[in-house]
Amino acid sequence: MPSLYVHVPFCQKKCNYCAFFSIPYDGSKTLSYLQGIEREAHMRLGEVSEKIASLFLGGGTPTVLSAEELEGLLNSLELFAFSPQAEKTVEANPGTLELNKLKILSGYGINRISLGAQSFNDLLLNRIGRIHSAQDIARSVKLIRQAGFTNLNLDLMFGLPGQSLSDWQETLQKAVDLEPQHLSLYALTIEPGTPLACLVDEQSYRLGTRVIPDDDIQADMYELAAGYLRTQGYWHYEISNFARPGFECRHNLSYWRGEDYLGLGPGAVSCLNGIRYRNVEDIYKYSRLIQQGLKPVEDSETEILTQKELISEYIMLGFRTAEGIDSELFAGKFGKQIQDIYGEILTHYINKGIIRSEKGRIKLNPAYYFVANSVIKDFFL
Amino acid sequence: MAQASTKIRNFSIIAHIDHGKSTLADRLIEYTGTLSSRELKEQVLDSMDLERERGITIKLQAVRIRYQAKDGETYELNLIDTPGHVDFSYEVSRSLAACEGALLVVDAAQGIEAQTLANIYLALENDLEIIPVINKIDLPSADPERIKQEIEEVIGLDASDAILVSAKMGLGIEDILEAIVTRIPPPQGDDEKPLKSLIFDSKFDPYRGAIPYIRVFDGKVSKGTTIKMMSSGKAFEITEVGVFTPVMNIVEELRAGQVGYIAGSIKNVGDTRVGDTITDADCPVAEALPGYRKAVSMVFCGLYPVETSDYDKLRDALEKLQLNDASLMYENETSAALGFGFRCGFLGLLHMEIVQERLEREFGLGIITTAPSVVYKVNTVNNEQVYVDNPALLPEEGKIVSIEEPMVKATILVPSEFVGAIMELNQEKRGVFLTMDYITSSRVSLTYELPLSEIVYDYFDQLKSRTKGYASLDYELIGYKEANLVKLDILINGEIVDALSFIVHKEKAYVRGRRLVEKLRSLIPRQMFEVPIQAVIGSRVIARESIRALRKDVLAKCYGGDISRKRKLLEKQKEGKKRMKQVGSVEIPQEAFMAVLKMDD
Repeated sequence: MPSLYVHVPFCQKKCNYCAFFSIPYDGSKTLSYLQGIEREAHMRLGEVSEKIASLFLGGGTPTVLSAEELEGLLNSLELFAFSPQAEKTVEANPGTLELNKLKILSGYGINRISLGAQSFNDLLLNRIGRIHSAQDIARSVKLIRQAGFTNLNLDLMFGLPGQSLSDWQETLQKAVDLEPQHLSLYALTIEPGTPLACLVDEQSYRLGTRVIPDDDIQADMYELAAGYLRTQGYWHYEISNFARPGFECRHNLSYWRGEDYLGLGPGAVSCLNGIRYRNVEDIYKYSRLIQQGLKPVEDSETEILTQKELISEYIMLGFRTAEGIDSELFAGKFGKQIQDIYGEILTHYINKGIIRSEKGRIKLNPAYYFVANSVIKDFFL
Repeated sequence: MAQASTKIRNFSIIAHIDHGKSTLADRLIEYTGTLSSRELKEQVLDSMDLERERGITIKLQAVRIRYQAKDGETYELNLIDTPGHVDFSYEVSRSLAACEGALLVVDAAQGIEAQTLANIYLALENDLEIIPVINKIDLPSADPERIKQEIEEVIGLDASDAILVSAKMGLGIEDILEAIVTRIPPPQGDDEKPLKSLIFDSKFDPYRGAIPYIRVFDGKVSKGTTIKMMSSGKAFEITEVGVFTPVMNIVEELRAGQVGYIAGSIKNVGDTRVGDTITDADCPVAEALPGYRKAVSMVFCGLYPVETSDYDKLRDALEKLQLNDASLMYENETSAALGFGFRCGFLGLLHMEIVQERLEREFGLGIITTAPSVVYKVNTVNNEQVYVDNPALLPEEGKIVSIEEPMVKATILVPSEFVGAIMELNQEKRGVFLTMDYITSSRVSLTYELPLSEIVYDYFDQLKSRTKGYASLDYELIGYKEANLVKLDILINGEIVDALSFIVHKEKAYVRGRRLVEKLRSLIPRQMFEVPIQAVIGSRVIARESIRALRKDVLAKCYGGDISRKRKLLEKQKEGKKRMKQVGSVEIPQEAFMAVLKMDD
């Protein structure tokens, strides 16, 4: 079953590490954006024939939109046929949450909130350009519960400039104290072209006087988190994701299982029937193309994925998850047994205990999650 | 008696790189209308891209220029180009031997540089008439008077009538041509005498075979002449005689004093050795021209394809290079670490680097080079003498009575203020002081006895950096000498990597081993497991490092919008991995094998 992603490219203020497409929130720009989404939804409705299993409103910051704007956006999406059990997530920033917005979301069937907490250390939050404090996170979580949400994710970041292992442990504890059903932990990645990349001194790997934790410390932070969360009853079901049993993010799982997805809004990516394309990353161009009745797609980026690329991606994504790759599904999808394609290298890794083969599933040993790329590369065709 | 024509002048140009030799040659050709400027594809004499880039001439070229002088006569000027590096000093000496004069080109701002000196001395040894030319007088920093003084002081050459030119602007070109005609003597020789000619270069042409470039001293050669190579006694019938204008142009004959090429289905450039004398097989001369020497490989190394499947391509490439370069030797070699490759012999380090670069550039091959080695003489317990040019083939310790290494007599010319620095360097390089002479009040000639292996390791770079580039070096092999030498092996993850083994003086083994393992540690990327690196002599470990296991190599996020970009990123990294050599279970980048070459960084 396909999933639906909607990109909301507005933020109150962009964080300095962020490489996603976003622009400052401005009430005068949102109208044409919302009209665009409405029209694009109509335009693309036919591209998905099955019921939609999940919805994800990401950004940017969807909750930077006003209550009315959120209502308008969700209204447009009513057009799609969702399965009755559909998981519907909205990303939220603790600096932008109000009870009335949450109630509107809940009213439109949103059943999962993903809150960008990142850290419970105000100094660190400030250092990476977040607009909120640790207190805002706690207050937001209270509001989310108050609005009746029972599926909450907190995003946390580690490897931040000047962050110590004990800072990180404290953040993890405070996050767990808020009893989220799900936690995503991301190592800070310094993306080229971001303000952070310009600020970081490459030689000393510092931001100002703050040292960015090196790979070894980041690996320690990762181990610390994985061990701690396990004792707290969270299941490590993907490299960066932890959940209470039954609360794994179904939307994201569908990406890792190589299922189709439709993306709406400027900058959103779709992948349907082996063809991947990206919408233009420019809200004016996006609106203009839509108004002309054209697909708002960046043609030069459209990819018709080859069998080799599809298999490489399937491996790249499958090895991220605890469920791993189902040999039968693999054979059904690609018409070849995974062993026939990867015989020698697969045996090599299985013998070394780096890859496990259990009950028809092939998965990466979690002890090697943090070096997953080294393994995945060997499986690229 | 038919004397050689008085209307011929044979000359070469001696210059430091960047001092404008090629531009000047272009101007001479252009001025005399030998080629139009459109035909002058930039600098015609340096025809290989590599030469142009490095600013040095590797393969010699020759060109005939017709010039109508102010005296109303038309002269035939033969410009013979020379390579500019000590590796090729023998080739330089042979092409200078083909001339009666030389232009000494000096940059008007920079003055005489080290490189020029060795060639000037070679020219003086060959009794050449030297015409000082001061180039780049258009530069704001030009100071011709100072340069003249320097020429007189350093070389002891009268520079009062040095010619001031700007090859770039085309100034002074006619003055040079006039000076060539009036100051350089015409060739001596007699075209009625039996043929006596000198090979100063050769090249391989796919249609005509090996083509020697020759200077005729006596006699004449034409189509139909049967020639004899005096070093080998081999005879060939000449099918074509020509000159370079600078393209090959067929002529009736070459007579005493003239320069050109001959062709005659000579299959192998090995039969047209530089310095050899060519005579007429039917009436040979009794004595060859002096100075012939067979090219001797001084430095050896293993060349391996990065991609094992490129082995055949590498063999074909070496075969092609050898067609034009008789001094390049190679034979099959197998390395446990690197697979199938070739053991190659070179005239020197530069020669080695050039071959390596040509393989990569002209043939698109990825090459791994093992540590360069000299040829050691090993005396074994069975009273045998074994010559070893590959450390991996050194007999085991118990079978060795002694090892002898090749020694050279090195002559270093240097401004006097650097004498201390030179002495220090030679001491570090196990040199034995022989002599020191003041050529002028500010220039000194030092001679040392040095192990060739020390010159192979980083000697030039050190010489240059310690004397600000002012020292020049020349050396000749003088024999073998016993030394306390050991083989140093490198173990990576417990396995000997034979391509990293080298033979070294015992006293230096510890420091070299230490440095090498440290360098390898920084060059070999972290792997999924810890990798120990050890330097050992026999079974004794003298240095040890370890590469800690890789701990982070992961994509933090990978959702719908990231997938393509991340896949491409990993694809690219996978491509990068292909450039690594898998030794046991460790991936070793190409640079690690190069680390042995440049250890004194």
